[in-house]
Amino acid sequence: MVRRVAVVAGGHSKFGKRYDATMRELCAEAYKPIYDEGITQDRIDASVLSYAASQFTGQGAGSALMADYIGLQEKPHLRVESACTTGTASLRAAWGMVAAGLYDVMLVMGVEQMNRVSSATATEYMSRAGDMRWEYPYGISFPAFYALMASRYMSEYNMPHDILAKIAVKSHFYGAQNPKAHLPKEIPFEEANNAIPICRPLNLYDCSLITDGAAAVVIAAEDRVKEFTDRPMWIKGIGAGASENMIQDRPSLTTIPGAKRAAKAAYKMAGIEPKDINMAQVHDCFTIAELIAYEDCGFAEPGKGPEIVENKENYIDGRIPVNCDGGLKSKGHPLGATGVSMTYEIMKQMRGEAEKSSRQIKDVKYGLAHNVGQSGQFVNVFIFERGW
Amino acid sequence: MAEKKELYLGYSTDKAITPFFQNWLEFLDQEKLMKSKCGKCGAEYLPPRQHCQKDMSECTLAEVSEREAKLYSYVIVDFAPESLSSKQPYVVAIGEFPSGLRLTAHITNLTSMPEVGMKLKLGFDKSPDGKMVTYRWLV
Repeated sequence: MVRRVAVVAGGHSKFGKRYDATMRELCAEAYKPIYDEGITQDRIDASVLSYAASQFTGQGAGSALMADYIGLQEKPHLRVESACTTGTASLRAAWGMVAAGLYDVMLVMGVEQMNRVSSATATEYMSRAGDMRWEYPYGISFPAFYALMASRYMSEYNMPHDILAKIAVKSHFYGAQNPKAHLPKEIPFEEANNAIPICRPLNLYDCSLITDGAAAVVIAAEDRVKEFTDRPMWIKGIGAGASENMIQDRPSLTTIPGAKRAAKAAYKMAGIEPKDINMAQVHDCFTIAELIAYEDCGFAEPGKGPEIVENKENYIDGRIPVNCDGGLKSKGHPLGATGVSMTYEIMKQMRGEAEKSSRQIKDVKYGLAHNVGQSGQFVNVFIFERGW
Repeated sequence: MAEKKELYLGYSTDKAITPFFQNWLEFLDQEKLMKSKCGKCGAEYLPPRQHCQKDMSECTLAEVSEREAKLYSYVIVDFAPESLSSKQPYVVAIGEFPSGLRLTAHITNLTSMPEVGMKLKLGFDKSPDGKMVTYRWLV
């Protein structure tokens, strides 16, 4: 018998270039608000560390370090890794353990420290997530994979770059209102549309940030939830999907097939439809990724994603508010922390606890998190339901 | 027995050379692009796989006879991974042959912006010392 599971608490470090901390201090920063709420170590049965890429710091066996540093050294722990979707993969793993009855209360901690190496080195490390034999020798960086999608999308649907720039403008508009964001500044459209090229057709403002940071959530089994909160956020639907490893092998580059499969599975498990979703946190590692996510999550028909952008339906008072915390673009993208940060943001929005009313979405009953790894080889979609 | 020639693919090396891959590289050194074909179900793979994705049978190499393709998608890499930073900017393209097989490679002789759908021709290249061999797209 599968038990219902809820997110009952969360914490979040400041995202940015955190030369003042290593991953252990970042984890403590994310756990501190949870501890201060009274969820002390003795109330946590086990933990999962979401830590995607140990090459950035050289720190192996990260879950032992993290657990020890925050006082969970006597509790079982493990590390999960699946590229940029590590955060929600960790949540999925923890959900499975709690739903199955192995543990009642678990901490999911996501962390990454990426700024101890240069941008070129970070780009090198991330390019090795492509096929080392057939893609890596041609210098296909992480932005390059998404630029291949962008070129194809722009050609098939005759879309100008302006649409992508407007997504960046929206992300930075909200990121500027998020004190935890890595780059909390607004950018004008012209600047977003004409920034220096990184991987054409993508420019600097089409790309997410190389970020240090941590985020954490606590999940609990249904019969224990009331011990922790009267405002639980139920995990209502979980979908996971996968796609071909080499991007050239995908039948289409204007969609991520694994994301469509993951979304479909999540909606089915939750028993709801895309029109029921009140807010979404999507994996905007690049602006084109956010655009494709609108379509893969069912908020727009194929090729119609640009209409959401043109009509500003992705703002807080629009039909489907998306990434109103700044997203990976402005808030930042510490790989292992990202999926956990998405979960945290949905919980805070449901509780009406956005730091500024100007980015508070009204009356969130259902929130969706769409977390993509590599260029779509791994995808997790979560649907959360307000429990009060 | 003659010593095997040391060959690597592309512009930065993946040094995990297996006998199957070595054999494929030696064909490439002779300017022959080889796909692989499953001996059991006939499935074809480009780039080649030693094992069929469908039934795990051993595949054999067969030459790709097509020389012309269309540009399926492209990227101009302005900011490269560290290992290829000396070559930036460069253009990576996915070309699609009439048979439907696709190949990812650099376009090395562009004089204007690439366009999806434009014609590509298959070419070959090697480093001055002859150790790095590769295929490439030409316009």
